Amino acid sequence: MLQIEHLTKYYGKFPALQDLNLEIGDRQLHGFVGPNGAGKTTTMRILATLMAPTSGTASVDGVNVVKNAHEARKLIGYMPDFFGTYDNMKCSEYLDFYGRCYRIGAKERARMTAQLLELVQLEDKAEEYVDSLSRGMKQRLCLARSLIHDPKLLILDEPASGMDPRARADMKGILRTLREMGKSVLISSHILPELSEMCDSLTILDHGHLVFSGSVENLSDMMNGNAPLDIRLAEGSGETAVEQAVTCLKELPCVTEILQEEPLLLRVRVDGGEDVCSAVLREMMVRGLPVCDFHRAPMNLEKVFMEVTQDA
Amino acid sequence: MLNPILSFSARRRMRSFRTMLIAAGYTLVLLLLAFFMMQSLMGSYVSIAAANAGVNAYAVLIVAQFALLVLIAPAMTSGAIAGERERRTLELLLVTNTRSFRIVAGKTLESFALLCLLIVCGLPVMCLTMLAGVSLFQILLGEAFLLAVAFAAACVGTLASALSRSTVLAAVLSYLMILAIGVLTAMPMILGYPQRITDVVYDTARYAELTPGGALKMISPVLLMNPGFALVALIQEETRVLNSYMEYREWGRILATWRMMDRAGCGTVALVSSGLIAASGFVLMCVSTLLVRPGKKHRKSGRK
Ligand SMILES: Nc1ncnc2c1ncn2[C@@H]1O[C@H](COP(=O)(O)OP(=O)(O)OP(=O)(O)O)[C@@H](O)[C@H]1O
Ligand SMILES: [Mg+2]
Repeated sequence: MLQIEHLTKYYGKFPALQDLNLEIGDRQLHGFVGPNGAGKTTTMRILATLMAPTSGTASVDGVNVVKNAHEARKLIGYMPDFFGTYDNMKCSEYLDFYGRCYRIGAKERARMTAQLLELVQLEDKAEEYVDSLSRGMKQRLCLARSLIHDPKLLILDEPASGMDPRARADMKGILRTLREMGKSVLISSHILPELSEMCDSLTILDHGHLVFSGSVENLSDMMNGNAPLDIRLAEGSGETAVEQAVTCLKELPCVTEILQEEPLLLRVRVDGGEDVCSAVLREMMVRGLPVCDFHRAPMNLEKVFMEVTQDA
Repeated sequence: MLNPILSFSARRRMRSFRTMLIAAGYTLVLLLLAFFMMQSLMGSYVSIAAANAGVNAYAVLIVAQFALLVLIAPAMTSGAIAGERERRTLELLLVTNTRSFRIVAGKTLESFALLCLLIVCGLPVMCLTMLAGVSLFQILLGEAFLLAVAFAAACVGTLASALSRSTVLAAVLSYLMILAIGVLTAMPMILGYPQRITDVVYDTARYAELTPGGALKMISPVLLMNPGFALVALIQEETRVLNSYMEYREWGRILATWRMMDRAGCGTVALVSSGLIAASGFVLMCVSTLLVRPGKKHRKSGRK
C-alpha cells in the first residue's frame, strides 16, 4: 500500500528526516511514534504531497507521491495536526464543500456526507456551525473530511491529541471500522501505549531516524529480552549485606549494570536470557545473601518509549 | 459545476453580520449625499441654479461610490488567500487537487460579488438623479465604470492577499498597491505628455481634422488605465465641468489631454477606460495564481 524508500528531508541544513525506509501493507493500521520534533509531521506532509523530500521517494499503491502528486492525492486522505475549519459554515456544508472540491457528484456527495457524519457520530450536529463544536468533535469532523473522497490510505497526524479518554476510545473504534472498510491507516502519536493497543505495526522515530519498526509484539519481546532484574534484600539486612551483594554481582561477567534504586533494592542489567538470570540467583544463594525478592521487572510501553528514544 | 470556493465563501460572507452592516452603511452614506445635493429640487419653487443640482448629484454620487469601493475592497478581500493561510485551509484545498486558478478565481469573484452587491444597493440612489434630468445611459455608463473598478479592486486585493501571510498585512499591502497603481498610471499626465498631443490640440486645423477614433488613439493607454482619469471622463460627459478651464492654454499638457478626451467623446473614453481597468484586473488575478502553491509559505509558526 505504502512504500517509503530512503526518504530524507533537510530544512536548510537541519536534517528533519534521514533515510527513512518503511512499508505498510493493505488493511494495516500502522502507528508512527516519536517525541516532539522526531519528524512525524514532516514525513506525513511529504506523503500528503504538500512538501517535496530532499531525496528519496514514496509511493502509494504504486503511485509516486513526489512525481505523480495529482494521482496520489486521490488515493490519500490527509488529516493534519490542526483543524483547518471555516467560520460561518455548518458541519454538513463543510463536508459538502470538500466533496465539491474533489469534484464528487451531488448524489454521491450527499450519501458520503450522511454516511461519514454517522461514522464519526456527528449526525445530530450536521446543521450546527463548525465553530460551535468542541475540540474532539472538530477532530472527528476533520477525520470525516479526510474520508470524503473514499481514499485508500489515511494519513492521520495526531488525531487523538487533546481528546478525553472516552473520545480516544471512540476514535479507536472508528479506526477499527475504517480498517474493516479496507483502508490502510498511518497514524501518528506521542503516546506509544495508546497506539500499541490498536495498531498492527509500529514505527518509532527519533530525531529523524528510524529507531524501531515492526509489530507491537516484536517491540515488547525485544524490550523484555533486556528488561532489568529487580533484586530486593530482606528487611533488616545491613549495609554490609548490600555491599556484599554488589561485589558478588560485579564479579559475574554477565552483569552489565548495577543501580541502587532504594537502600535495599538493586536494579541489575544482565546480558542474556532466563538461564543467565537463574545463574545470578544461584550465585547469590551460594554466597548466602539475604535475597527476598528476585524478578524481572516487566517493561511497560511507556518505559520502552523512553528507553528507545533516549539514546538515538 | 459552480466553483465551490466562490459559492461557499459567498455563503459564509452573507452569514456574517458585518456584511449587512457594510451594505447598510454604504447605502445610507449615498442616500444622505443625494439628499443634500438634491435638497434644492425638493421645494415647491425651483430656481434655475437648482436645475443643475441633479447633474452635480450624479458627479458626487459617482465619486463617492468610487471612493467607498476603493476603501472597502481591500478590507473585504484581504482575507481571500491570507485568511486561508492563517486558518491553514489552503493546504487542505490543494490536496483536493483544486487548481490554484480555481482557488484564486473563486476568491476574487466572491469579493467582486460582494462589491457588486454594494453597487446594486447604490443603484436606486443613483436613479434618483434621473428625476433631475440625468439620462439612463449616463447612469448605466457610471455603473459599468463602478463594476470595472470593483473587479480590479477585488483583483488587487486578492493579489495582495496571495502575497501576504496575514490578513492585516494583506489589507495594508492592498491599500498601498491601489495607491501605487493610481499614482503610476497617472504618470503620463504628471510627467509630461508626448509633444505630439499638444501639437495637435493647439493646431486648429489639425484639431478640426481629428476623428474621435484618432483622438482616442492619441491618449496614452497607461492613462486610460487610471480610474481617476475614467472618473473625470465620466463626470465631464455629464457636467462639462472642465469646459470653463479649457480656454487657459497655461494648463498645458493636462488641458491638452482633456481636450483630446473631449474630442474622442467622454463616454467612449470612460467605457474604454473601464474595459482596460477590468482587463488589467484579470491580469493581476492570473499573477496571483502563481503565488498559490503548496509548501511555499509553510513555516512552523505559533505551534506547540
Ligand atoms: N518548516 C520548517 N522549517 C524548518 N524546520 C522545520 C520545519 N518544520 C519542521 N522543522 C523541524 O523539523 C523537525 C521535525 O519536525 P516535525 O514537525 O516533523 O516533528 P514531529 O515529529 O511532528 O513533532 P511533534 O510531535 O511536535 O508534532 C523539528 O526539529 C522541527 O524543528
Ligand atoms: Mg507533528
